Amino acid sequence: MDPFLTSRIVTDVLGGLTNGVTYGLVALSLVLIWRSTGILNFAQGAMPMFATYVGFALLSYHFGYWPCVVACVIAALLIGGLTERLLVRRLYGKPEINPIVVMVGFLIVLEAVAAAIWSSTPRSLPSPFSSIHWQLAGKPFALSPFIVYEFATALVVMAAVAVLFRFTNLGLQLRASALAPEVSRLLGVRVGRLLTLGWMLSTVVGVITTILVSANFFSGLTPTVMDGIFAYGFIAAAIGGLESPVGAIVAGVLLGVVNQFVTDYVNQNAVIIIALAILIVSLMIRPSGVFTKSALRRV
Amino acid sequence: MITIEGLTVSFGAVQALRNVSLVAETGKITAVLGANGAGKTTLLRTISGLKEPKTGTIRLDDQSLVHKRTEDIARLGIGHVPEGRGVIGEFTVEENLRLGAMMAKVNLSRGLDEQYELFPVLGERRKQHAAKLSGGERQMLAMARALIAKPSVLLLDEPSLGLAPLVTAQLMHTIQSLCETSDLTVILVEQNATSALRIAHHAVVLHVGKVVANDTASLVAADENLRQYYLGLVE
Amino acid sequence: MKFAGTRRRVPIAMGVAVVATVVALVSTTTSREGVALSVAFDLAVACGLILSLPSFKLSHPVVSRAALTLLGLDVAIFITFFLNSSTNFNLATGAAMSIVLLGLSFLTGASGQISLGNGAFMGVGAFAMAIWANHHTTTPIVATLLIAVVCGALVGLLLGLPATRLRGPYLAGMTLAFAVAFTFILSTFSSWTGGDSGLQLPTAAIAPRWLDGFFHAGTPPLTTTTLYLTDVAIIVAGVAFFFMANLFASRTGRSMRLIRDNDVAAELVGVSLPRTRVVAFIVSSAYAALGGALLTLIDNSVSPPTYSFALSVTILSLIVIGGIGTISGALIGGVIYAFSTNVISWITTQTGLNPQGNLASQLNGIIFGGLLILTMLFAPFGITGAARSLWHRLRARSPG
Ligand SMILES: Nc1ncnc2c1ncn2[C@@H]1O[C@H](COP(=O)(O)OP(=O)(O)OP(=O)(O)O)[C@@H](O)[C@H]1O
Ligand SMILES: [Mg+2]
Repeated sequence: MDPFLTSRIVTDVLGGLTNGVTYGLVALSLVLIWRSTGILNFAQGAMPMFATYVGFALLSYHFGYWPCVVACVIAALLIGGLTERLLVRRLYGKPEINPIVVMVGFLIVLEAVAAAIWSSTPRSLPSPFSSIHWQLAGKPFALSPFIVYEFATALVVMAAVAVLFRFTNLGLQLRASALAPEVSRLLGVRVGRLLTLGWMLSTVVGVITTILVSANFFSGLTPTVMDGIFAYGFIAAAIGGLESPVGAIVAGVLLGVVNQFVTDYVNQNAVIIIALAILIVSLMIRPSGVFTKSALRRV
Repeated sequence: MITIEGLTVSFGAVQALRNVSLVAETGKITAVLGANGAGKTTLLRTISGLKEPKTGTIRLDDQSLVHKRTEDIARLGIGHVPEGRGVIGEFTVEENLRLGAMMAKVNLSRGLDEQYELFPVLGERRKQHAAKLSGGERQMLAMARALIAKPSVLLLDEPSLGLAPLVTAQLMHTIQSLCETSDLTVILVEQNATSALRIAHHAVVLHVGKVVANDTASLVAADENLRQYYLGLVE
Repeated sequence: MKFAGTRRRVPIAMGVAVVATVVALVSTTTSREGVALSVAFDLAVACGLILSLPSFKLSHPVVSRAALTLLGLDVAIFITFFLNSSTNFNLATGAAMSIVLLGLSFLTGASGQISLGNGAFMGVGAFAMAIWANHHTTTPIVATLLIAVVCGALVGLLLGLPATRLRGPYLAGMTLAFAVAFTFILSTFSSWTGGDSGLQLPTAAIAPRWLDGFFHAGTPPLTTTTLYLTDVAIIVAGVAFFFMANLFASRTGRSMRLIRDNDVAAELVGVSLPRTRVVAFIVSSAYAALGGALLTLIDNSVSPPTYSFALSVTILSLIVIGGIGTISGALIGGVIYAFSTNVISWITTQTGLNPQGNLASQLNGIIFGGLLILTMLFAPFGITGAARSLWHRLRARSPG
């Protein structure tokens, strides 16, 4: 077997991609909300976390992995929709800090309530695929069945979002509501419902990410499981320019790879510091985002 | 037919419309004229439900439109081409049209063909982003986007804004023939009184929110006082 | 009329002050408390005198603000004499926190932006203080505090420079990332920061000799020799509030508010948007660092877990509840912080929760997070805003 595949570089790249796709998914869900409502959702990690706890509560009734996943998605739809209807809807057109403050408050409440109900001790989620790495010629290879499943799921989610927005009438209406809400209403588009739908969709993207993360990172599911990933997701989205879904995903994946190299060659603690430094430098050089074509941004 | 009675609309202390009453008859073009700030745009926005009136009624045939949501009013068959056109620049021509056709249960490809026939330029640029169209092309796109849903009422807010006289004349001609070939009710808001009066059946002149004239277009066009003081048409 | 009244009021008040001083001195010359009491009383009268002149407030706003500050300090310090050691400790932390809150309030009030990382900036100040004190034991405390402030400002500059150029939530997101990263930064530089156990100050900040005898009955956390730190914290807070009140009212402060309300108009009159925003952010970071350094001084030590993301959220909640963008909001938030631990443990015992249970341990987050949401939705300017609108409604109702 080719020793290249088990070399340090390939191992790091694959390990980085494994984390990177989750950052990319979080960044994508942030961009979806940002583009449609102009709100940076600081609870974008906490809402799916809560939905994951709710969905996997079915485990104690002896349901398997897949029914739990379905329950998670349903819980995410509900949480996303209710949040938009009851909380976010009051924040449209308010000064910029109002939604930030409210969503941070929501993040804290969700994490505290989750810890109060399910405790802060990590719970391990079942996994449909083995997390044990394959061996190539007696050497560990940086892929496992679970990681392949993770990649495949991430790709499916990203492709589904792309197809929805590019090719369907619903996607057209979602984009129109975000770009020109008033004109859309004049054309009969039910903008209010679509905004709710946008929040539901992005929470579903989030819950799929959370399920992958909680099973993969050996850390299990905790109320704060998404905190760090949210931070990386935001950094990726900001590097990509907040406006661009593709930029967010690419930046997230690259950030994952960079992080892996930093972990391997420097140390674990330096990872977030380097990521922050990358964000600072990239905002200095290209404030409009590395992946946006136009230099014009609403400044 | 749109019937408006006693409509009063205000922005805080500013009364944009005061006790406005008018009728836009089916199959006819009703021109709404007046200087800047007369309240023309406000009238159309109130019909579409983008602005709540303080008092007064608005009816489409026998159905009240007041307190209805904008999107529901649009779904009743009222097309509104807003001031400044409101085409979505990030969308292609075809996407703009698809959006317009969505709520009406019309056959999309047939509708597209009809609009491309009516406005051939749009057919040539169907894959182009609307931001890259010229002003006149954008106006055509905005009209086509409203027409593709087969509205029974069309609200046009200053379609001639920023267009060359020749293009304006073409546009007015298009509006006129639309009205003649179908039962379309048109409320045409215009600064350009001459060209609007040429095609309108009926004309309403607003002055600081009040109706100062409400008559057939030819009578309004012939009234020297109106021409001089409100329409700025001096020989 | 007005001026005649003013002229009469001056000699009257001066007479009162002189009599009070004489009486107090004569009756209590034997005890230090007596001297303190009479000085406090005199100060209060003098400041009250200045403040009672409305015309003075307009012609000499700085003096009148100084008088208000002195009066507040005077009363606060006087009260500390009568409180027990643990309440004093609470007040001291509340004073330090109110400085942090004031910085954040200024940032939002001045630029419409928000920081989610002020806990980390506090940490910058707290650790800068401890590290410097450990390496240079002879530096006076005031100088060390100033060094901590400079460190906070520099880190603020580093983060603020890129983020404040952009409108939108960039500053919020970036400061959140900084708050999350801060713990890792501390452990990366563990040879300086003391790793998980943090740092002790090399010498306890013992009161100078001339203060001996003022403070008795001290028990930990503040002992007889360190009880005076409450007053130090209160005085530093007073100075910080005085500066901030002047900054709020200054030309710079006004142009900053213009930016918050209408940035397009502000640019038209020639206010540089990015520069003003970055200055506001640096001021807020420096204030946070000062608060953190004071906490180190009060605790005599600093430990990394204090400066987690949770602290940043607590700071945000406190200022939002107090009234963001206002000066009094910072004061109210500081007082709430001083007693929040007591209140929450009171709630725990009153409701009969198991103090070791999941719910009790999360009560802090649930209450603060919930209040954060409710305040923002229903009273966006917090207690200060609610009190103001109540006051205006009452005045509108009463004739004259
Ligand atoms: N959103 C608003 N807020 C406050 N006042 C408004 C608003 N919109 C319009 N007005 C006021 O209402 C009045 C009528 O405005 P309107 O836009 O209807 O005039 P118009 O006839 O369309 O003028 P123009 O020919 O310039 O388009 C004006 O005095 C205007 O200032
Ligand atoms: Mg108008």
